[in-house]
Amino acid sequence: MENTKKALPFILPGFILAVIFIFYPTIRNIVISFSEYNLIQRTMTFKGLDNYIALIKEPQNRFFLAYRNNILYALVVTPITLFLGLILASSINSLKRFSVSFRTIYYLPVITSWIIAGLVFKYLFNAGIQGPINYLLLEQLHIIKEPINWLKTEWGGNFAIWVLGIWKNVGYAMVLYMAALQGISKSYYEAAEIEGANRWQILRRITIPSIKPITYFLTIQLLIGSFNVFLQVLVLTGGEPRGQTSSLQYLLYSRTFELYKFGEGAAIGVITAVSILVFTILLNKSLHQDNVFGAK
Amino acid sequence: MNRNLSKIIIMIFLIAGIFIAIYPFLVMIGNSFEVFTFSLPNPPRIFPKEFTLDNYREVIFDYEIHKYFFNSFSITVLTTVFVIMLAALSAYAFAKIPFLGRNVLFQVYIFTLMIPGVLNIIPQFLTINSVGLIGTRFGLILLYVGTGICGNTFFLKGFFQQIQNELLESVVIDGGNHFTIFTKIVIPLAKPAIATLAVLTFLGTWDDFFTAKVILAANQNVLTLPIIIHRINGQHATKFGLVFAASLITLIPVIILYIVAQKYFIVGGLTEGAVKE
Repeated sequence: MENTKKALPFILPGFILAVIFIFYPTIRNIVISFSEYNLIQRTMTFKGLDNYIALIKEPQNRFFLAYRNNILYALVVTPITLFLGLILASSINSLKRFSVSFRTIYYLPVITSWIIAGLVFKYLFNAGIQGPINYLLLEQLHIIKEPINWLKTEWGGNFAIWVLGIWKNVGYAMVLYMAALQGISKSYYEAAEIEGANRWQILRRITIPSIKPITYFLTIQLLIGSFNVFLQVLVLTGGEPRGQTSSLQYLLYSRTFELYKFGEGAAIGVITAVSILVFTILLNKSLHQDNVFGAK
Repeated sequence: MNRNLSKIIIMIFLIAGIFIAIYPFLVMIGNSFEVFTFSLPNPPRIFPKEFTLDNYREVIFDYEIHKYFFNSFSITVLTTVFVIMLAALSAYAFAKIPFLGRNVLFQVYIFTLMIPGVLNIIPQFLTINSVGLIGTRFGLILLYVGTGICGNTFFLKGFFQQIQNELLESVVIDGGNHFTIFTKIVIPLAKPAIATLAVLTFLGTWDDFFTAKVILAANQNVLTLPIIIHRINGQHATKFGLVFAASLITLIPVIILYIVAQKYFIVGGLTEGAVKE
């Protein structure tokens, strides 16, 4: 009891703000998702599952398209980011000099804000022949015959969003992997060399298992990040054409603050939060099972 | 395999990668000094044909970007200071005072971390609206601080726990209370962790668009840099030079911070706290 009294001045200021801006909004968000909210009259009427049904039944399928795009983003961006990050990390770690310079430069995209990075990518993926990507593919590599209107088509737009995500995240994965690789004891590698293990065996039996905790951490982070895709869509495609390049958070934003459908916006928030929780738990389970098999 | 050959291959790979990593920056810098024409330069080039400062002039004199720079700066600094102060206090109690319900509350804090805070933007907006703080810097700072508490507390608690209890007990024997321990021992020892958090909070706040846009959009005078950049792009979709000049001005504090405090960006400590089992 005495300890609790002593702890109060430390805990309370943060706790009160957390209640006002995190705990209470989480619960209220769920309530709003089952209601119709009128901002001007400040009235809330209970509507049951109406908002959820409206999202599902919509003729243009915007909700499902957004959800699909979040999943695709996770499936494309996460593995490629991890793979490139690991390759870069081990390459840089193998250098005797310049490793700090390489790391510093490769980390630059990570500290650049999404909106700025997004605007540069809008320039790079410009529709005309002047767009650097089109120019490269058409004039330099002769892969395509005419310029692609990247940001106005379903797969061109999604592709640009993915590339931006990878470009921005690889440095982060690289830095964490560099630290993890440096933490592996040299004696493992020496022992493997004495036993005559080849590079592939060393990679599979020593390196990959040793960096597993970091891989897990990064996977969770990138997965949650995949449900946070917003600025990429806002800047690059605006969800066009017809929501085919949209994302859940973008849909939440436009429903709420452009169409003032607070209930539908809140429903999107609830569905996203539940999805993240479910995916995190599933990922947790599958990776732990993996541990059990590995221990055999 | 031939060792020298593989080293050369690695070097070529890394240098090619560097080009991809920094090409967007080169495009941005080059274009910000480019004279405006109605179509983009063809073929694409990095170095401007005629060097001009017009874009910077327009961003400063017509758009008064310094005003928004000041908004961004004050909001970011105040948020960083308050979030870390409150989180450090909370983390101290979680780490060193065994109060009633400590573990349960900490579990709740961790649980909220799994859900991105922006998903609750609607009730957050309504709460701030109900106290009349929509379109004010104060309202935005409150929201940033409130949503930053749990994560930062979680992170700092890990560091505070590693501080030996014997160290703290010596202060208690000398008649010091928890506040003395907190200010005299815990905070000085946790400086690297606090610096890392300060850098991360600064970056996150400086770059935020979503929350700032929702809370501030109603009041032109208090907008932050990301919103202004987006607005310039909306008004002049083809004037990339203008957009990039504003973007580079926004990047300057980040780059300075990156150079000065680089060891706190490359977050060895953060991962240790979060990943070690």
